[in-house]
Amino acid sequence: MSVIEIENVSFTYHGDKRALDNVSLSIEKGEWVSILGHNGSGKSTLSKLIVGLLKPQSGTIRVDGITLSASTVRDIRKRVGIVFQNPDNQFVGVTVRDDIAFGLENLQIERPEMIERIEHYAKKVDMYPYLNKEPHALSGGQKQRVAIAGILAMKTDVIIFDEATAMLDPEGRERVMEFMRTLNREGTTIIPITHEMKEAVMSDRIVVLKDGKVLKADKSENILKDKETLERSNLELLLPLEIMHYMNENGIDNPSLKEFLWQLSLNG
Amino acid sequence: MAIKFERVGYEYQDIDGKGYLALADITLNINKTGEFITLIGETGSGKSTLAQHMNALLTPTEGRVHIFGVKISREGKKDKNLKLNPIRQKVGLVFQFPEYQLFEETVGNDIAFGPKNFGVSEKEAEERAKKMINIVGLDESYLSRSPFNLSGGEKKRVSIAGILAMEPDILVLDEPTSGLDPLGRNALLKVFYEIHQKLDKTVVIITHDMNTVYEYAKRVLVMREGNLVYDGAPTQLFSRKNVKNWNLDVPDILKVRRAIEEKLGITIEGETRNKADLMAKIGEALR
Repeated sequence: MSVIEIENVSFTYHGDKRALDNVSLSIEKGEWVSILGHNGSGKSTLSKLIVGLLKPQSGTIRVDGITLSASTVRDIRKRVGIVFQNPDNQFVGVTVRDDIAFGLENLQIERPEMIERIEHYAKKVDMYPYLNKEPHALSGGQKQRVAIAGILAMKTDVIIFDEATAMLDPEGRERVMEFMRTLNREGTTIIPITHEMKEAVMSDRIVVLKDGKVLKADKSENILKDKETLERSNLELLLPLEIMHYMNENGIDNPSLKEFLWQLSLNG
Repeated sequence: MAIKFERVGYEYQDIDGKGYLALADITLNINKTGEFITLIGETGSGKSTLAQHMNALLTPTEGRVHIFGVKISREGKKDKNLKLNPIRQKVGLVFQFPEYQLFEETVGNDIAFGPKNFGVSEKEAEERAKKMINIVGLDESYLSRSPFNLSGGEKKRVSIAGILAMEPDILVLDEPTSGLDPLGRNALLKVFYEIHQKLDKTVVIITHDMNTVYEYAKRVLVMREGNLVYDGAPTQLFSRKNVKNWNLDVPDILKVRRAIEEKLGITIEGETRNKADLMAKIGEALR
């Protein structure tokens, strides 16, 4: 069953070129679908449309069968959580504790349950010792982990990670990837929006956007090896697959090394 | 020596007045020309705090920083004759989210704002805006556009052009390529490298991307819990011991090279700091 259905959606920012041009796309419940594309390809616009932060000029968006509109946007946000790239934009609390609590207050969660969730998810992202800290005492990456805890605490069915690991160090990034894996195993639909191929290797499917249009949508293993499609959208092959491509181009035949490179690429 | 850190410490105060030591006992020299430095370390290790001492945006709570001969210290803070403007022009600092510093109506005005602020004529500032928009890989049609309708990557480039337009001697960039797509990232790194090579300027880049470190840096500074634990070449940095102790991510080039060497039971000779080198060597080994 489709959890997200996007039909013929177009969006133009005031007085600018078209950001999304007649995009159609559906995502199944429990699926892990990466949306890839160059800067300005429309991928962040798409994520803002899905959670109702922007309103499409044409087309429809349905989440869990509910058509997105001004009257349903609250229901939609109970089902779709989003973690943005810039942690400063999403830090709304006075302290870390307040910040994680913010989304829960909107959901009107009972206080004991709220406290339990705040502490549980603060521990999960390794920010528990910082619960009483103010945002200025935190680095960008730490703020981002707080934002992630806030979304996880809301236990939504779908989580969009809109370039959410861009500001994290390698270990922090790996930890977010681990959250994605765990959440997806537990049935959460995961939608990373990224241009980092390493973030896309775990997905079931990859959608590549270019200049506001869907350039290609296919199973991950096909897109990951598709140098032409990736490069058309300013992306690049993972290094082991770049080497595999080089071997193919230069007539170097070594099937066992190629298989090894493929496995290597999946391990990030 | 253009920038000289002498036993610098820096303490933040948190909500209940408790101190938090972000930098501890940092001693470090940076030359005016010829350096291409990457500054790395985990989240919260003090990288950005260190960078903000390089143009006196922060004043150390311990020790001193000398920037182009001007001493910055806690004791000197009240000195009314202390002029920070020349320092800010000589050491250009690009913040982690520079796109939030855009505020003018057009991209052109935004880029020209900095130089005008430092006394450059209107005409000259406009000339520089034209030059710099090209250097960061956008064309002149952007100059008349509103900065607020640009994508994240484009805003970043515009804000970097604004700092370049001040013609600083030293350019300090806090995660300048984060959020950029691979093509944009590679293009911008080439820009920084050219600024370093052709104009002989010192460039300091804070990054989490070990591929950038390995491919470009001449010198690497590693921060860990407020301490400077490594100051040296990138080639020696990624030894198994350092990687383990400092929780470093190994650059893809090195990771893939080591894996292939092991798989094929061969040793690839010589350095491979970029993709092309590595592929050529693997090609040689397999033919």
